[in-house]
Amino acid sequence: MGNEQRPQPAGPGATGAEAAAELAAIRRRQEQVVKTALVPAWYWWALAAPIVAYGAARDSRNLAVQATVIPLAVLVMAVLIGAGIPELRRRAKVRTAPQATARMAAAIFGMIALVDAAAIGTAASLAAAHLRYPATIGCAAGAAVLVIAGPLLSRYSRRLMLSQVRRQTGSAPQAGGSIP
Amino acid sequence: MSTARFDELIHAPTRLEIVSLLAAAQWADFRYIRDELGLSDSALSKQLSTLESAGYVEIRKGFVGKRPRTSASLSAAGRQAFEQHVAALQQIIARSQRNGDAAPASRRSER
Repeated sequence: MGNEQRPQPAGPGATGAEAAAELAAIRRRQEQVVKTALVPAWYWWALAAPIVAYGAARDSRNLAVQATVIPLAVLVMAVLIGAGIPELRRRAKVRTAPQATARMAAAIFGMIALVDAAAIGTAASLAAAHLRYPATIGCAAGAAVLVIAGPLLSRYSRRLMLSQVRRQTGSAPQAGGSIP
Repeated sequence: MSTARFDELIHAPTRLEIVSLLAAAQWADFRYIRDELGLSDSALSKQLSTLESAGYVEIRKGFVGKRPRTSASLSAAGRQAFEQHVAALQQIIARSQRNGDAAPASRRSER
């Protein structure tokens, strides 16, 4: 990142190619900031693992296992959720309009609702049918939704933030260009 | 769209990169800017001071626990100067596209 070659500035007498290179460099820097606000791909798997562990501990009916695994799983989830909030990482805060923030918050709450619905719905159905390991299978269903919906949420947030940032700074690609 | 105006102060490569980064952020930590741009503490301090003197950047110093934290943000004047600079770049590209010489170059930059 920091070692990449810096483009020569395009002065008022610059050619179109030089100006385009400078604009591309500006967009790259803006993408860097947006990337700071996003979580890596492994994050969703790391969050899914303690959810499954929680379900398995519930089904174990072993007090010692429950007393150890459940608080540990909750702690790991709390730490991961905290680490996923960019403001808490104290690096940079992406500039977004209130509407974009509201849309991202709605997407996050939507995903949480989906994960809960999958986990609780599956576990409740299995328990009602007197099948074995309802909590484990229910939590695994919720975790599966999380690892599928999580990256989609990241992609949506990235696209939303990039378009916001570029619109605000007027650096959006001109006609014929596209936001990656 | 902003009025196109080339800004001599921010068009220097390092300053333009700092301003580009800050334009996308509400605020950014000093260490974050330093690491992302691969600058030394002194080089970044010098550039931020120049931008601050021009009224383009606001520097905030505080503490998190006992550790000092410095963050920077673009001021309204800095944001306007950056937008005008971007508009000037787009104007150059549009002009050269009209002249027919920069269309391939501009498309290259989009890849």
